[in-house]
Amino acid sequence: MVIRVPLTVGVLACYRGNGVAGGRSPARVPRQALKVDRATPRLVDRGELLAALDRAAAAKVTVISAPAGSGKTSLLRAWADRPGQPHRLVVVQVQRDQQDAQQFWLALLDAVRRGSGTASRAEAPAATPDFNERAMVERVLAALEDHRGRVMLVIDDLHELTSPDALAQLTRLLTSLPPNVHAMLATRRDLPLHLHRLRLAGELAELRAAELRFTERETRALLDASGIALSDAGAALLQQRTEGWAAGLRLAVISLAGHPDPERFVAEFSGSDRTVAEYLIAEMLDRQPDDVQQLLLDTSLLDRVNGELADLLTGRPGSERILLELEDANAFVVSLDSERRWFRYHHLLGDFLRLELRRTRPEEVPTLHRRAAGWFAEHGQIVEAIRQTQAAGDWSEAARLLADHSFSLTLDGQAQTIQALVRAFPRGAAADDPELALVRAGGELVQGHLDEAAAHLAVAESHVEAASPDRRRRLRVAIASLKLGLARRRGHLAGVVEQARFLDSPVTGQSDKDIALGSDLRAVALYNLGTIEAWSLGLQDAERHLQEGAVLARQIGRPYLEVGCLAQLGFASKIRPIATTRQRCQEAITLAERHGWGTEPVIAPALVTLAATMIWTGAFDEGERWVQRTAQALESDSGPGITQLLHLATGMLQAGRGRHHQALEEFSAAERLQSQLAGSHALASQVTGWMLTTQARLGMPGQARASLATLPDERANLGELRNARAVICLAEGDPAGALDALAEVLDGTTPVIGYVTVVEAQLLAALADRALGDQGAANTATERALALAEPDRLVLPFAMTDSRELLEALPRHQTAHAALLTDVLDVVHGASLTANDQPPSPQTEELSPSELRVLRYLPTNLSRPEIARELSVTVNTVNTHVRNIYAKLQARDRSSAVRRARELRLLSTGLTR
Amino acid sequence: MPAHLPAHDHGFMDQAATLYTIRIDGHLGAMALSAFPAMVSRRQGAQTVLTGLLDRSALYGVLAEIEALGLDLVEVRRLTPKRKSSEPGDSRSP
Repeated sequence: MVIRVPLTVGVLACYRGNGVAGGRSPARVPRQALKVDRATPRLVDRGELLAALDRAAAAKVTVISAPAGSGKTSLLRAWADRPGQPHRLVVVQVQRDQQDAQQFWLALLDAVRRGSGTASRAEAPAATPDFNERAMVERVLAALEDHRGRVMLVIDDLHELTSPDALAQLTRLLTSLPPNVHAMLATRRDLPLHLHRLRLAGELAELRAAELRFTERETRALLDASGIALSDAGAALLQQRTEGWAAGLRLAVISLAGHPDPERFVAEFSGSDRTVAEYLIAEMLDRQPDDVQQLLLDTSLLDRVNGELADLLTGRPGSERILLELEDANAFVVSLDSERRWFRYHHLLGDFLRLELRRTRPEEVPTLHRRAAGWFAEHGQIVEAIRQTQAAGDWSEAARLLADHSFSLTLDGQAQTIQALVRAFPRGAAADDPELALVRAGGELVQGHLDEAAAHLAVAESHVEAASPDRRRRLRVAIASLKLGLARRRGHLAGVVEQARFLDSPVTGQSDKDIALGSDLRAVALYNLGTIEAWSLGLQDAERHLQEGAVLARQIGRPYLEVGCLAQLGFASKIRPIATTRQRCQEAITLAERHGWGTEPVIAPALVTLAATMIWTGAFDEGERWVQRTAQALESDSGPGITQLLHLATGMLQAGRGRHHQALEEFSAAERLQSQLAGSHALASQVTGWMLTTQARLGMPGQARASLATLPDERANLGELRNARAVICLAEGDPAGALDALAEVLDGTTPVIGYVTVVEAQLLAALADRALGDQGAANTATERALALAEPDRLVLPFAMTDSRELLEALPRHQTAHAALLTDVLDVVHGASLTANDQPPSPQTEELSPSELRVLRYLPTNLSRPEIARELSVTVNTVNTHVRNIYAKLQARDRSSAVRRARELRLLSTGLTR
Repeated sequence: MPAHLPAHDHGFMDQAATLYTIRIDGHLGAMALSAFPAMVSRRQGAQTVLTGLLDRSALYGVLAEIEALGLDLVEVRRLTPKRKSSEPGDSRSP
């Protein structure tokens, strides 16, 4: 089989980094500057190797493991480009020395999505500061499942992936690929992938160096295709000397093309004891004009180069033309983008060029690094700028750059890259740079190492005063922000907010760049501050700071922070009507989903708050779905506070469904987490109250009372715990004691988390009244509970409080809340309501006030004449109103009118008696 | 070879350094030899022998260079003090 190998057989073929290997742009005519003959597309027959790869590809996973320059990449490319290739290809090339697992997985996910052609409708993968590698593998698998037909996942240069976590997760991916997906990995060395199961099942194929070697016949074909006239003996000699090593042959071809005496070249090469690569690279370099040599050496310090940067490093114009010509000549230079603006050198060549530069002009190396660093910093490529500054040995400058950008880089999802940069500082003086202490503190915080973070933070703080005045303010904001973040993770809320008050005034910077960095910092600070306030029930400050943070985040293009602020805002909306809370949560979730963070920890506060609003209103099935999604988002531990909230919501769900044993488990789990939080947070009294309440309901009032007795007075007197005391009294057969406990909740003198506590108290009072034989008082209290619950249509307190008999005892025509009552009874009998959040449809014509009055009687069992009597109007008037109501609500009968009116929230407010 | 990232401070060693000889097929020229500044080289037939005092991370650094440059590794030997006295000729560079 004859295949087109556009890059001769070279090892330099490189995927363009954007997925499926594409065809090369049309070859350009090289100029005179280059002594390398232009490589026309040459044909070489490596059919046997391709057939071997074909056989290997039948296995689930194929590993191509061979040393540098063995031709792995070009083999993959030739295989991929082959006409009739039955696989859809998803290609990822691992970046050099990739220590950042997130960057690797994002590239993989992106390639998979592009490959499936669903990238436009799928959520775009985006980096997040709290990266969950496990969840990421699930997303990649889900994206792979979207593919139809046979898919080959190709990962090239896998040896460059130096993140150990990433390899472990990659093993998981490879061992759980969907049936239609196969994988092909290329690596210089065998990697610790644990694929025994695949090997035992015969699902692991390997191709190694020996199989990649060029045979004599293939060497001959390569020379012929390259237009090199060499005797058969010469070709055999060349093959023996290089041992069929692809890079060697490829380099030899470059030097042989246009050589006046190819036989002599091969003879000399063969007679030399020098190692193949060095001999041939030295030969090739020698044959280049001075300007090309200088360009190659000067730019060898970079992982990638473009014309402008090369001009800057060489100090002369025209570099782009040379780079394009080198690529056209297949001289181990490869363009990285379809516009052919960025290039890189084949690793092997790059490594030798760097050695040669350091050997021949060592004194220029730091200058070159500094120039490159300046260019990268100017062009916003901060990571590259920091690397180059480090390489120049300018450690304190590198530390300052890193400190200035650590917040922004964290937001860009490059936390692991930051860690790698920190590790690159040498031990000793440079590592003790106070600027680095700040970066380290941030890194430890991201990883949840709270004590270490606090220690680094203390070091940074002790150096603030020594900083120059223009840096001091920024350092302070950074430190305050990290302190808030630390306090948030610890649940240690008291006191930190005061320390951060100064954040209320905006940062003023001198230059646009300063302002941009300052804005990132300030948005993070507002996020942390508002979050802490929300959790310590400073809800109005929380709303203000989070809203400000969200607006700022949007302005500066920081969607992660915007999502974070909005998610916490959803949680902070507890003082708002449920509809508002729900809407805020849904907005936050929609935005999160747009960025692919629908199940990331950052959105968890909105997920769990939305779940709670569903559960409060009796929409248990929907509530359960949101609870499950919260649990998914919190798979990687995200701190006791939010996890406690998840247990609380789950407990509410169980209690609402009458499963008190399961509810007790959840409330107790939430209570246990309380001890891990340094201060008590927003919902602590709710957690304890419901735990004791549930114990009492399950026949353990003694145990509950004993726990209650251990609480300090100021806690035991909170509304939620007074309710718990009432439930204990009721369980003990002491209704009078219950009423006594409830008195201060009902008259509003004791602090409560929200009015829901009062609704619960009214119902408990009604139960006590009934136990005391006062049905009238019980009815009044029940009606009060309904009236309080009506605006938000709260159902849960009724479901949790054994209120069925109270409600059934309430004469229907005596309640103004018949619709809610019906809903509650439905739930108590085991139904789950649906949450209706759709805004009223615009087609609905508005009801007149008199029609609304009539409408509110429709859910009751009153007849039309009875309604007429209640409203002191004639039956005819009622009939007219009902007709109009049906027409406007597009209803056929009374029950569909009631359903529609409920959906439109027309039955919720302003009831008349 | 992440050559643009500086190596960690070589003055600090986690463990005592040990003398190693590393044998590579072929003769290394000045370019390739500059990748091993901590080693002394000598030619032995068609092979090159690198000798140097290396701690463990320095050893793996050298092996990574060998891999990156596509060199043909033949042998790695650790010369313990005892062996050093029994095979003196092997442990010293010329």
